[in-house]
Amino acid sequence: MLTVSVKWQKQVFSNVEIDTSQPPYVFKCQLYDLTGVPPERQKITVKGGLLKDDADWSTVGVKQGQKLMMMGTADEIVKAPEKGPVFVEDLPEEEQVVALGHGAGLLNLGNTCYMNSTVQCLHSVPELKSALLNYSTSGRSNELDQTSHMLTVATRDLFSELDKSVKPVVPMQFWMVLRKKYPQFGQLHNGVFMQQDAEECWTQLLYTLSQSLRSPGSSENPDTVKALFGIELVSRIHCQESGEESSESESVYSLKCHISQEVNHLHEGLKHGLKSELEKASPALGRSAIYLKESRISGLPRYLTIQFVRFFWKRESNQKAKILRKVDYPLELDVYDLCSDDLRKKLEAPRQILRDEEGKKLGLKTNEKSSGSKDNDVKMTDAEGTSSASGEPSATSQEGNGSAKETHLTGVYDLVAVLTHKGRSADSGHYVAWVKQENGKWVEHDDDNPTLQREEDIIKLSGGGDWHMAYICMYKARDVTM
Amino acid sequence: MAPDPNSGSGSGAREEASLKVPSKDPKKKDEKKDEDLSDEDLALKQQLELYVERVQDPDPGLQKVALESMRQEIRTSTSSMTSVPKPLKFLRPHYGTLKAYYETMPDSDLKKYLADILSVLALTMSAEGERESLKYRLLGSDGDIGSWGHEYVRNLAGEIAQEYIKRQSEEAPIEDLMELVQQIVAFHMQHNAEPEAVDLLMEVEDLDLLVEHVDKTNFKRTCLYLTSSARYLPGPDDMLVLDIAYSIYVKFEEFANALQIALFLDNQQHVRQVFESCGDPLMKKQFCYILARHGVTLELDEEMVADDSEREVCQEILNNARLSEGYLTLARDIEVMEPKSPEDIYKAHLLDGRASAGASVDSARQNLAATFVNAFVNAGFGQDKLMTVSSDASSGGSSGNWLFKNKEHGKTSAAASLGMILLWDIDSGLSQMDKYLHSNDNHVIAGALLGVGIVNCGVKNDCDPALALLSDYIGKDDPSIRIGAIMGLGISYAGSQNEQIRSILTSILNDAKAPLDVIAFTAISLGLVNVGSCNEDVAQAIIFALMDRSESELGEPLTQLLPLALGLLYLGKQESVEATAEVSKTFNEKIRKYCDMILLSCAYAGTGNVLKVQNLLGHCAQHLEKGETHQGPAVLGIAMVAMAEELGLEMAIRSLEHLLQYGEQNIRRAVPLALGLLCISNPKVNVMDTLSRLSHDTDSEVAMAAVISLGLTGAGTNNARIAGMLRNLSTYYYKDASLLFCVRIAQGLIHLGKGLLTLNPYQSDRFLLSPIAFAGLITMLHTCLDMKALILGKYHYVLYFLVLAMQPRMLMTVDENLKPLSVPVRVGQAVDVVGQAGRPKTITGFQTHSTPVLLAAGDRAELATEKYIPLSPILEGFVIVRENPEYREDH
Repeated sequence: MLTVSVKWQKQVFSNVEIDTSQPPYVFKCQLYDLTGVPPERQKITVKGGLLKDDADWSTVGVKQGQKLMMMGTADEIVKAPEKGPVFVEDLPEEEQVVALGHGAGLLNLGNTCYMNSTVQCLHSVPELKSALLNYSTSGRSNELDQTSHMLTVATRDLFSELDKSVKPVVPMQFWMVLRKKYPQFGQLHNGVFMQQDAEECWTQLLYTLSQSLRSPGSSENPDTVKALFGIELVSRIHCQESGEESSESESVYSLKCHISQEVNHLHEGLKHGLKSELEKASPALGRSAIYLKESRISGLPRYLTIQFVRFFWKRESNQKAKILRKVDYPLELDVYDLCSDDLRKKLEAPRQILRDEEGKKLGLKTNEKSSGSKDNDVKMTDAEGTSSASGEPSATSQEGNGSAKETHLTGVYDLVAVLTHKGRSADSGHYVAWVKQENGKWVEHDDDNPTLQREEDIIKLSGGGDWHMAYICMYKARDVTM
Repeated sequence: MAPDPNSGSGSGAREEASLKVPSKDPKKKDEKKDEDLSDEDLALKQQLELYVERVQDPDPGLQKVALESMRQEIRTSTSSMTSVPKPLKFLRPHYGTLKAYYETMPDSDLKKYLADILSVLALTMSAEGERESLKYRLLGSDGDIGSWGHEYVRNLAGEIAQEYIKRQSEEAPIEDLMELVQQIVAFHMQHNAEPEAVDLLMEVEDLDLLVEHVDKTNFKRTCLYLTSSARYLPGPDDMLVLDIAYSIYVKFEEFANALQIALFLDNQQHVRQVFESCGDPLMKKQFCYILARHGVTLELDEEMVADDSEREVCQEILNNARLSEGYLTLARDIEVMEPKSPEDIYKAHLLDGRASAGASVDSARQNLAATFVNAFVNAGFGQDKLMTVSSDASSGGSSGNWLFKNKEHGKTSAAASLGMILLWDIDSGLSQMDKYLHSNDNHVIAGALLGVGIVNCGVKNDCDPALALLSDYIGKDDPSIRIGAIMGLGISYAGSQNEQIRSILTSILNDAKAPLDVIAFTAISLGLVNVGSCNEDVAQAIIFALMDRSESELGEPLTQLLPLALGLLYLGKQESVEATAEVSKTFNEKIRKYCDMILLSCAYAGTGNVLKVQNLLGHCAQHLEKGETHQGPAVLGIAMVAMAEELGLEMAIRSLEHLLQYGEQNIRRAVPLALGLLCISNPKVNVMDTLSRLSHDTDSEVAMAAVISLGLTGAGTNNARIAGMLRNLSTYYYKDASLLFCVRIAQGLIHLGKGLLTLNPYQSDRFLLSPIAFAGLITMLHTCLDMKALILGKYHYVLYFLVLAMQPRMLMTVDENLKPLSVPVRVGQAVDVVGQAGRPKTITGFQTHSTPVLLAAGDRAELATEKYIPLSPILEGFVIVRENPEYREDH
């Protein structure tokens, strides 16, 4: 009979008796009583290893009064959960995109950044994407020429490829078709393709799409592109000399922001762009006279495209030179005061609802301040812009499923994409697309390299230096359901 | 010429008294030209000329008077050192005359007298290399050497050194010289010029003489000079110097200092002698604290500590059993017990919007990173927010859950991270690991075994629980379980040179069927256990294992751990490596040069040997044939050798900058790691900037190494600047999973132990290098040379080798009963006071705290009160303080 002391965790059990005639298992049972650790989980260190259940005490060499150490707990043994977690690394490629949070990049095929950035900006328009998906490969109507059809198909394929892949997409097919349709993009200089004007690419592409997506078989909507991007303008043409006045209406795909000495802000530029002088034959005077043309918006699109007229033809250098002037643009644009009177009346009610909603969101009481609604200037909405932007996706999602309630435009727009240019002339430098994701995050698509950006940095693309500056801005309408 | 009314008479100027008074005002103008002399200078000159004439007078009486006066003139003026004393200057033209006359003189006292004077004159006159001062000194009378002033003695010492070298080469007798040396040393030691005395004795290779001349007042300064000059001495000289310092300390019963030197010399006999010659039991406990901090495994016997119960207490300290307790006391005092989660470290909220988009799906890589971050940050605290949360907590953060949020081999690291959290706490650590040992998942078991090893790291226990537990699993079939157990053994018994482990592990090396990874980790564990032992059996076993590798296996990154294991055996042992290095020349050429580099750099690690650094730099300068990999270890080797002392370290940093510019890619990849090692836990601003630059390098492996190194340089410092850099890097690399993983690891390292731990293997005022800590560091760094294959592959648990280097960077004072005692201390930047006159301040820019306190790199502490006397000369780690019996409270 020996007595030893056993240390277990931080406790010490002194004077534990060992009956050396019994196997150590008996000793372990004694310890079970003391500690509650089942014998099979007890680990007792003796000389040369652990005490075995069937060992012989005489060979173990335990001395009287020795300190033994016991390890082991009665804790529950950890078990793997039945359903293991899913790891990003195990997911197939297309699902990794979702986790990544933004689409894929486009490889530069040699000065094709103008095209890549245009595609990335247009790719961010979900309505255009769905319209393209409905476009069937075979359903070419006769009035559409073969190349337009091919370009539309190529656009559709490219868009779907962008959605699917993680790695940069090679837009080879698209580029070839684009060159076929518009040979000017295939211009060579010293054996390489030249840099082109992104705005030209944008306009031409939209034009083609408007042609092809208009075709009766493709969609129930007669003209998808026009519904999405078309801006209706009414113009009053006035001749100061003769006092003649006429009005005409037209439809354009983008508003121009003219940049002159006085223009510091997008709004001023837009106003400037809607006024123009033109010289035409005056029937009353019998000669050509200066007419003043003042346009106003009579129909708003879902996506408002604004082009900064930064390039002008510089005769002496024989190239499209760039105006570097800084022109600020807001994240939230209100075009109310550019609208015609008829349109303003239509907008009145939805705008009131929008203001109430925003007020609620800010926790304010919906005080009836209809009188102040008229002079609701852009700056004020600017300040509220950030908070309302978050609620924006939910508003648009309703539009897709065609609920009973109708959506109404409010004349308030949120910035969703910016196409910037860096460099001194349109045919050189670098184009980059900055696109807002559906999750509200901004991504800079620099060819094949997308990077996340902060919203503050998007505003900083307003020019005034040699950094990227906005060339085309795309705004998305904020609408309300009534 | 200054018109002086007195000068006209020309007679009164003879008296010395009148010489002194006006001598001050024309001082500025004097000595422009010979003619520009002031009157009294002129008089002096004439006077001396007269003496010179008289010396050559045939009348011995007159000669004697003239010599006497000349001597008088010289002695009264040599006191100033700013310019050549006037008498010497005026005697210059006559030096030749006197010399010539000396030769003609018959042997007499007078001749000796003249020799004395000539010896002094030679101080300024003798041509370079002539050593005439010494020559005439030896010919002259053996009078008091100090009577001619310090400058004379110093000059003489210099000439002796030159003469000594000459005579050595000619094998001429040196007795007369040594007699002079005796005199000079005695003179220096009496006049606070210990460095000069030591220098002279080193020149004449007779340091033993020093022991006779030191006394209570100057031995400390002497020893300080000896120990710090040892760093710059070549070959066996440095050991000799330290031996002398050791014997001086023992002579004056400064045992703690003697022990430091014994540890530096890695001399077991000295350690034993210190214990045996010290009679104070409290001192012995302090010794045990010092030994424990250094990681020494030692079994105290009756001769060392006589009393049984005292010995038990001492052994307990030596086993580091109280480390966990002390560390937690520190943590409670600083109020950092609250566990931190990885998110607290990442601080993603500071990164507004640019951070990774919604993490809707778990990423195995990122979860693994979080596991490591959690382990590093909460190391030793015993609680965290992922692993130790009790499983019945409803929050869903139970340990089982987190464990299984890791994939396959990731679970190994996750289970082992629990060991890191419970570091040093054997009692509760082992019981908490227990439940994982019964898991049915092999990866989890492997992790648990590794965790057991980590818990036991640096802590010994009489029951050897780690050995008992782990040896059961070593023979298992599953390679991951085996690796877990093997690595666990290596970590827990590092430096112990345990026989039993050696035999278990060598048998695995001989096993032809064992997979390569098992072999590699076995070798490393053997290297760690026998670090710096030069054990030939182990070396043989590793060499055979290396020779058995097939051609294809030799190309594997894991195989490169085998030479490293071999190197660890010879860590810091210099020439002892040579036999093995010879053998390594017979290896397959794929690994030969690699092995060569590792052995060289390990053997001279921490010596500061400039020649070896140059050798390694030479290897880096070559342009490689394809496929050679030895330049990576060569670059690391530069850091390993050069990190010994501050000057060499700065030079190495500069050399590495050059390598960055001119080196090839495989060199550039190793440079950040070398920088990380040089500045481990010591974030120098210039290195931080370099690494920050490299962290954006186009080569992703350079960038990864730089990121990891940023973590290493800031390890345990909570450095806000590096933390900010890493945060920005985490957004910059949010898409690159591998780099992001590295960034996370680095972030974890910065906040190692919430800033209470350091990875610096140097301690005791940067004097002692802990071989175990160093071995852990370089093992981890060598695995970083091929990051993609090891750390980013399935061997990420090599990061746990860092645990060997983890030590609390604290000063904890304890009373005579070893209970923590709060004492006011001043903590400030350490100042180098070696060889400085008087009693200079040892710290600058200090602040007063009460213990326990944290010490940053380069910090030194001193007690701010006279009330207590520390038992250790260096206030680091655990220090026992004793009440000062002479202290009186003054109000």
